[in-house]
Amino acid sequence: MEFRIRAYRFNPEADKKPYYKEYTVEDFPGMTVLNALMKVKAESDGTLSFRRSCRSAICGSCAMKINGITKLACKTQVGPEIDKFGIINVEPLANMPVIRDLIVDQENFFNKIKEIKPYLLGQREDEAYEAFHVLQEGEKINQPLYYKSEFQNLTGNNDTPNCILCECCYSECGGVVGNPKYLGPAALAKLYRYSEDPRDNDRNGSRLVNGSKPEGIWDCVHCQSCEEFCPKGISPVKSIVKLHEKAVKNSITFSAGSKHVVSIAKSIGETGRLDEIKVAFESGGITGLISDLPVAFGAGLKGKIPPLRHKLIKDMEDIRLAYKELDLEDKL
Amino acid sequence: MFKHDVVIVGAGLAGLRAAVELRKKGIDAVIVSKVYPTRSHSGAAQGGVNAAFDEKDSWESHFFDTVKGSDYLGDQDAIEILTSEAPANILDLQRMGVVFNRNDFGGIAQRPFGGQSFPRSCYYADAVGHMMLHGLFDNVLKYKTKILYEYFVTSLVTDNGKVAGVVAYDIKTGNFEGIAAKAVLFATGGYGQVYSSNTNALINTGDGMAVSIKAGVPLMDMEFVQFHPTTLKSTGILVTEGARGEGAYLLNSLGVRFMSKYAPKAMELAPRDVVARAEQTEINEGRGVEGAILLDVRHLGKERIMERLPQIMQLSIDFEGVNPVYEPIPIRPGAHYSMGGIKTDYNGRTLIEGYYSAGESACVSVHGANRLGGNSLLDTVVFGRRAGTDIAEYLKSARERKFDESAVKRDEEIFENLKKSSGKERYGLLKSELQEEMRADVGVFREENAMKRALEKIIELKERAKNIGIDDKSRTFNTDLVEAFEFNNILLIAEVITRGAILRQESRGAHYRTDFPERDDEKWLKHTLAVLDGKGGIKFDFSEVSITKFKPQPRTY
Repeated sequence: MEFRIRAYRFNPEADKKPYYKEYTVEDFPGMTVLNALMKVKAESDGTLSFRRSCRSAICGSCAMKINGITKLACKTQVGPEIDKFGIINVEPLANMPVIRDLIVDQENFFNKIKEIKPYLLGQREDEAYEAFHVLQEGEKINQPLYYKSEFQNLTGNNDTPNCILCECCYSECGGVVGNPKYLGPAALAKLYRYSEDPRDNDRNGSRLVNGSKPEGIWDCVHCQSCEEFCPKGISPVKSIVKLHEKAVKNSITFSAGSKHVVSIAKSIGETGRLDEIKVAFESGGITGLISDLPVAFGAGLKGKIPPLRHKLIKDMEDIRLAYKELDLEDKL
Repeated sequence: MFKHDVVIVGAGLAGLRAAVELRKKGIDAVIVSKVYPTRSHSGAAQGGVNAAFDEKDSWESHFFDTVKGSDYLGDQDAIEILTSEAPANILDLQRMGVVFNRNDFGGIAQRPFGGQSFPRSCYYADAVGHMMLHGLFDNVLKYKTKILYEYFVTSLVTDNGKVAGVVAYDIKTGNFEGIAAKAVLFATGGYGQVYSSNTNALINTGDGMAVSIKAGVPLMDMEFVQFHPTTLKSTGILVTEGARGEGAYLLNSLGVRFMSKYAPKAMELAPRDVVARAEQTEINEGRGVEGAILLDVRHLGKERIMERLPQIMQLSIDFEGVNPVYEPIPIRPGAHYSMGGIKTDYNGRTLIEGYYSAGESACVSVHGANRLGGNSLLDTVVFGRRAGTDIAEYLKSARERKFDESAVKRDEEIFENLKKSSGKERYGLLKSELQEEMRADVGVFREENAMKRALEKIIELKERAKNIGIDDKSRTFNTDLVEAFEFNNILLIAEVITRGAILRQESRGAHYRTDFPERDDEKWLKHTLAVLDGKGGIKFDFSEVSITKFKPQPRTY
């Protein structure tokens, strides 16, 4: 069977703006989108440019938009795509500048990975180094013991360490669309992975403090795209939510996002209702309140004015019970 | 022009491990890689990394197993280092943040692997290479290491027989750069793309080995190519030996566990050369299933498969359309690993002062004629670390060398000429012809006439390669040009493999000659060393095997 593949093309040396070029490819059983691209490159158009390496969904090189959705080209079968769309449309990842054709600039993405300190903190380097020991004849080595349960959180959220840094989540991330400086799901999932490592010794919580700064964990918009589009079945958003909990539990609540969460919990704990004015004030302070004014004014014009004083709701007792159950008594 | 104390070419496990060692000591080392580090093929390693930890196990037993596995061609002084340093290296990785599965007592869990007399393969589900690669990459970031990524190294530069640096092509911009250094480490991996049906990444084109032999550094034991017994039938994608370690069966079309015939004691856990030959024999004698063998894990049960072999399950579903929980996986032998490589000593030193190699690109030799599963990851970290340590020592007395910039010009011209050429041949198609020929005639079973046919084909392809045309004339990310250059590298490596295989008239480890089916210690217990003869051919020499503790014995499993 022959099918069409329509590729996004852009060569900064020759093209003023991107265009699409269509190729016809002869299919074989089990053909993947990467196979198809390679076939085009080998047989008809060597100028078509894309990254690829392992072809078995472990290196993360060939992430691209296939019929509008970010996927690994090596893992995507041609057949079902053709059945559904009648064509294979390939485009570069979103949220990243295009260098050429399907190749994007990953510099920002990897800088963000670096920013979260993706390694164990607080170990004594010299000690670790000295500990290297070559065995003599008949000698055995002692190993430090760590129980399976100690690694449970780290591997929770669908095996965070399996992340291959393919950038699929980053390309689909609503948070990055809104704020290109946002660290993004892959970096934050990695932050979670290291902060839950039993060998990590981040005594002053610097990693979590860092992650709580603007553009960090509180900038996630909870769109769930990272989970939906991860080719390895990881859920960065669940890791991010865990980081929220961890930050609040450790009283790392200097950011607007964390203050917002704490204030909402308090407001509901007190009256069972959301006191919007108070929450806005407690999250952003005076400046936050002022910047929210146009929104409030607009809402006011539509007749949506929150009451200045909230009455207790009648099922307050249930809320108290729920808070007790959730260990949130300090918010009552 | 860049200048650093050390240039590490390749960002897989060996390169990263050496980089960590050097950066820990504050040495100015730069990593140069043609891909971003996490795209390196080390990440695809699945099953395990060997080290003797258990009370009832010993590194000496690991030592013997490896010597026997190598069919006595491995250098025993080096294997002793590999196995006695193994546990410390694994614990070092663990300290750096690598996670291994745990046993019930809090230690590192270990699974059985082929050719090992004790379950000593440490693992992280079935993605231990990925775990180690990312763990080391994170440490490279920790020690703030400069990485020149998407730079393709084209030459080694020497000055009076001592290393002076490398020439690299910046794939992103199309510029050539000289990188001057007092020491250079090649950790450039293998050449799996020489064969069709291989488990390797598309980037594994033997570049470092090709650059080395062109610089006059001999390649050792290149005729020894490992064929992995379990690769997915249609794509060649790896299915870990860990599957058999967990208890999987190999079945022929009659549903029989045929390994009982070939390795009655070890069965499915015989070394890879033995299992690959058994499978090929079954297929050749008509007991295959559409040209494949069946790998059956169903009896392990869904829970164990999902816990221990989740990646295998997903790969089988995605790439073979088979769910191993309910159906056996069709597999066949595929080119996997290079036992041979750049000749080094056990500190990674080559014949050129200041020039080092480690990992699959190097031949120490610890794998001899056949590598045991779980020993390659170990090789990368043990000898990556040792190379790093030795380079640090070397730097204390090393002087700066003169970097001859005409080398940069020369490579630039080669690329420019290749780019200008409008020949009719397409490297993509020539590559397929080469790969198919190598699979057919220099594969699991070898015979003189077939290999001579392969050699003729290689010579023909070398001629035709002069007429390769390049579609892409631009500078930015010209992957067309890079791939054409890579093709020339695999062509050269294919020739070295084939000539070496014709020369070695015996059967040893992975090199099996149907016309010489016996091991011949009298004539062939020696390493082959290949160098270019300067007239477009290849010249061979030999060197002795280090035998310290274990005298060669017949090898049965």
